[in-house]
Amino acid sequence: MNNLQSLSYYWPEIILTVTILVAIIADLFYSDKDSGKTALWVLGGLILAQIAIYIQDSEIVTTLFMGNLAFDPFASFFKTLIVLATILVIFISQKSSELDGHRTGEYYSLMAIMVFGMFLMASAIDLIMLYLAIEIVSIVSFILAGYLKGDLRSNEAALKYVIYGAFSTGIMLFGMSIIFGLAGSTKFFAIQEAMWNLEGSAQFAFTLAAIFILAGFGYKISAVPFHFWTPDVYEGAPTPITAYLSVAPKAVGFAVIIRFFNTVFGDSGAFIDPSIYTFTTIAWPQLLAVLSVITMTLGNLVALQQNSIKRMLAYSSIAHAGYMLMAIPTLSSQGVYAIMLYLVMYLFMNLGAFFVVIYVKSQGGGESFDDFKGLGWKMPIVGIVMTVFMLSLTGIPPTAGFIGKFYIFASVIKVGPQMYWLAVVGAINSVISLYYYFRVVKVMFLEGEPSETIIVPSPTVLMILFALAIPTVFFGIYWAPIADWVSRSLTLFIKVI
Amino acid sequence: MDNLNTYLFIAAILFSLGMFGVITRRNAIAVLMGIELILNSANLNFLAFAKFGGMNMSGHIFALFVIIMAAAEAAVALAIIINIYNNFKSINVDEVRELRQ
Amino acid sequence: MADLAFWMIVLLTIGGAAVVVLNKNLVYSAIALLFTFFGMAGLYVFLWADFLAGVQVMIYVGGILVLIIFGVMLTNRITSVNISHSSVQRGIGAVVVLGILSILVIMIYNTPWLQVEAVEPVQTVGKIGYLLMMDYLLPFEVASLLLLAALMGAAMLSRKSN
Repeated sequence: MNNLQSLSYYWPEIILTVTILVAIIADLFYSDKDSGKTALWVLGGLILAQIAIYIQDSEIVTTLFMGNLAFDPFASFFKTLIVLATILVIFISQKSSELDGHRTGEYYSLMAIMVFGMFLMASAIDLIMLYLAIEIVSIVSFILAGYLKGDLRSNEAALKYVIYGAFSTGIMLFGMSIIFGLAGSTKFFAIQEAMWNLEGSAQFAFTLAAIFILAGFGYKISAVPFHFWTPDVYEGAPTPITAYLSVAPKAVGFAVIIRFFNTVFGDSGAFIDPSIYTFTTIAWPQLLAVLSVITMTLGNLVALQQNSIKRMLAYSSIAHAGYMLMAIPTLSSQGVYAIMLYLVMYLFMNLGAFFVVIYVKSQGGGESFDDFKGLGWKMPIVGIVMTVFMLSLTGIPPTAGFIGKFYIFASVIKVGPQMYWLAVVGAINSVISLYYYFRVVKVMFLEGEPSETIIVPSPTVLMILFALAIPTVFFGIYWAPIADWVSRSLTLFIKVI
Repeated sequence: MDNLNTYLFIAAILFSLGMFGVITRRNAIAVLMGIELILNSANLNFLAFAKFGGMNMSGHIFALFVIIMAAAEAAVALAIIINIYNNFKSINVDEVRELRQ
Repeated sequence: MADLAFWMIVLLTIGGAAVVVLNKNLVYSAIALLFTFFGMAGLYVFLWADFLAGVQVMIYVGGILVLIIFGVMLTNRITSVNISHSSVQRGIGAVVVLGILSILVIMIYNTPWLQVEAVEPVQTVGKIGYLLMMDYLLPFEVASLLLLAALMGAAMLSRKSN
């Protein structure tokens, strides 16, 4: 579709762009104290954008802007997920004590720009567009990670993030240049076509390019060995941003991996026939399987040794990326389905866990396990809700985390005996994670002195807590609405070769 | 001299040198310079493929965007470094090593 | 003559890059980077990318390099802004990098790259302009948003008061 025609399919992004500009200009009129009101503009814009996404969520599947973007339910799914995560994080940010005394107008405007970048990532089908989208998300993440200007930890987190981010995108770029040399085009579908007609001697170059590109994508979802930045950035960044980074960019990172690998090295995600993948000697499914095993094992083992809950959650989010990666080598629509379902469940439980950490800190507590001693007695509601999130992150029924994990393992086992080893490794890892998630529960309820006074959170905090905890439990019992939504969204733009 | 492989070799050497800089240096700015070398090597690849692929202008566009991104990234990186510098003046130098592996 | 110029430029580029990563003194590294960037612009001219050669000189030399030199000057005053990143020994690094380089060389030799015989030079400025307004209009517009984000962020971070 040409540029002008595309505009009528581009309402959510147009609304978002206007929101960004309005938020930036509105912020100029606020005093330092009122600067946080920018959040209202951003919230309003996001809700309007979400309505626009909902309205256009139709059967039409096409490409926009001269083949730069795909317009498909798959992209709409991730856009909705991003908007949901952003709205929740904006509410969470209001309750964060770390941001007190900072002018927060830019914080929210930058968040809106990041949403725009993630929208593009979810739908890009051109290497240039994809690169640009990844860079927008990265650059805004760098700034947000260093938002606490007076805090050296935040500064160093941002510096480290910039260095690792630029390094991995540099490597990714080199990989993209190799692909450009082989295919002579930057469009996914043209590359796919070239891939089919390649001589055998070009396979090596293609494999190398895939590995280089994986460095860039792996960095976004913090898969080992591209995870080095994760613990320090997660610890140093303002906690609401940590929560955001662990959910939204990770989700679109998976969207990019699914779209890119299935399009360029597969049959565009049509999943008609898995044997189609054997046409290439590129062992990318095996590569991703190994990556997934290393990622979850390392994430879990290091999480065991942490004394800070924030840092423990950082490593556990690496482990969760590993679980989700497990489903990609299945090369089936069930695998993609499972990942999408898991991302929805993961959104609630992970944001929830981070919100509890933020709330405890804002009540004069800290982020280490010691600070959580006796919390269950001092703040019973928070303690119980945190227990729910921990159960869900471990994957114990009847919580959302269990359903997510169940679908992931089911999709892996369904492939056949050659994948059983992967499921076994995943199961062992879940058991390891049981230890450190339950350590939080143990510390909260079994250690420390029972306190005399009981602190009941304010109504707004309770609202956010329940907005995150109720879905975590509810979707563990009745997940049909999510399952429906995911299966409706399982349509990628396909150009059948 | 005027064939594709010459340019690709130059790019490969630049890429390796950049990589060497990134993995052996500890200073943030030295690492940043290594990254610039990697970006330049990718750009050289793009332009070489563009020329020998029959003046395929997509490569030029890609290189153009890479340069834009590199500038934006360098600006943000420098802002962060200046910020650290500002904090250094008021805060004890020993505290900078707060984050550890 | 053109041959000689070409190899001189190659020498300048790679020699500069080698100094950048091997020299311990950051100021020398930054100056060497200048030569590399100019060398790259020269190579772009040989690749008939006249517009990009200009952009390279303007943005890399005029913008990024100046930023880097600023950074060098500031961090020299505070002795070190090391990122706590586990840097490896030079010996090990050299082995790793030589490994990568040899893999890349093998790849370059063995790959049937997409090549067209007898290419004629074209005016690149007009074509780039056309593509930016047609095929790549959206990336072009989006780039402005990215620059806005970078501008806001850089101003916000380097501003002294909150």
